[in-house]
Amino acid sequence: MITAALISKRNPEGSTSENKWRTGARERAYRRRLVEALCRARGGSASGPRAVKEAADSALALTARGRSRWSRAILFGRRGGNLLLKARGRVLVRRGRPRMVAAPRPEGKGVRDSLRTLRWLVPGCRKVSTSSLLKESADYVAALEMQVKAMRGLFGV
Amino acid sequence: MEPRGSSGVGSGNSGTYTPEIAESLRFEEEIQSLIDPSFDASSAAGGSFTALLGLPANQAVELLHHPGPGEPPASAATDTLRLPFGCSSTFVERAARFSVFATDDSPASSSGGGLSPGLKAEPPDSDSPPTLPAPAGKPRRPSKRKECEKSKAKAVAKKSKSAEENTSAAKPAAEENTSGDKLPYVHVRARRGQATDSHSLAERARREKINARMKLLQELVPGCSKITGTALVLDEIINHVQSLQRQVEFLSMKLAAVNPRIDFSGLDHILSAECGPLAVASGCGGGASDPAMWASDTAASTGGIRRMPAPPQIWHLDVVHPQQSSTVWENNGVAHPHFLLSPATSLVGYDPASSVPLNSNRLKTEL
Repeated sequence: MITAALISKRNPEGSTSENKWRTGARERAYRRRLVEALCRARGGSASGPRAVKEAADSALALTARGRSRWSRAILFGRRGGNLLLKARGRVLVRRGRPRMVAAPRPEGKGVRDSLRTLRWLVPGCRKVSTSSLLKESADYVAALEMQVKAMRGLFGV
Repeated sequence: MEPRGSSGVGSGNSGTYTPEIAESLRFEEEIQSLIDPSFDASSAAGGSFTALLGLPANQAVELLHHPGPGEPPASAATDTLRLPFGCSSTFVERAARFSVFATDDSPASSSGGGLSPGLKAEPPDSDSPPTLPAPAGKPRRPSKRKECEKSKAKAVAKKSKSAEENTSAAKPAAEENTSGDKLPYVHVRARRGQATDSHSLAERARREKINARMKLLQELVPGCSKITGTALVLDEIINHVQSLQRQVEFLSMKLAAVNPRIDFSGLDHILSAECGPLAVASGCGGGASDPAMWASDTAASTGGIRRMPAPPQIWHLDVVHPQQSSTVWENNGVAHPHFLLSPATSLVGYDPASSVPLNSNRLKTEL
């Protein structure tokens, strides 16, 4: 992708960010983290589906190493018992995505409405600029695809 | 009506004739006189009509009005126009429109030619509505010509701009060649026909950045490359994100149902080593309903990673389907991890005494 190469000129790393999600290394790292998280979740809280989902999302965010905005939002949104917080030693309480709130369908076909819905969907991107929103959502889509692929692989498809 | 024929219109045709209706009346007389005799100037009409093309609209209309020296072109023009007109106060506007169409590009002139047969069928009484947009269209047309020029120049200048971009991309520190805010002082040649003040430059840079990111997203989401238009692409992206999130939720629900039975402690190195599909006993009825999820991995099952239900007392065949499960194992040859969940919430394993090999050395079975 030429445009990706053009944009990545400003990045210190060589490769583009969403290509990193495609590599097998990330997937393996994610699986490891997912399993750890599931272990822990099983031992600790009730193994409701939400807890599993949160654990999976946290594992995903952790795999992102906090470089992207949405991963930081997820990690800081979960209260307590998070690896990153424990490592850092201080608890940053920030409002994450409110649970059980459905994102509205894009009201109208305008570009602005769709952007608003996108802000709702991607965690932690409420107030960022449009270009950052697009960048974060690209990263988020790549991460989600990897997550789905890994979880499916866990199940045996 | 007097046959004026090819003679000049004559009396008192001056450009300062302001009342339009009187002009049009006289014009009507001319036209009617012209149309009555048969003109074979149709072939010459095209050529002479195009002589009017180079003129701006007003002058062309005036020429049509007053075909003094340029009378044959006028007559030929009117011949090509060939309009049946009753109330000809509208004819001026229509002629203006035609000439205006002719001043545009050639497809417009063909559309102008295409309009005339359409207009033939048009009853003259319905002419009054189209007259309103036509005079409004007249001042617009000359500006449209300028816009055409401008867009052509822009298209040309864009190539020069992209050439500029290539050369400036070769520069080490040039991220965006149009924004001078990062670099000390960059002289940038703006595109032709666009503003050069710093605000527009910054805006243009921002817009380009956003467009580039949109393109990235478009390539990422499958099926978006064909869609043109930002709004639809964004809708598609939103749908994709929502579907991915729903899939994650669904899979996590499944995982949650399985979770209390499964011991993951011995799993880490297995996961990282094999990265293969693992057989997981499914949740409440959902797994029983789609056996396709489990049945497809012969390769892995020969390797034999199988999830075993943890507490040893769960090792029992389902009371309801004892024969089925054993036949399942035998039929498949390789043991497909085909677990059925009984309503007693106990996992169905297979009989340890059966011929199906258990890779107990690889898995830890404790809870």
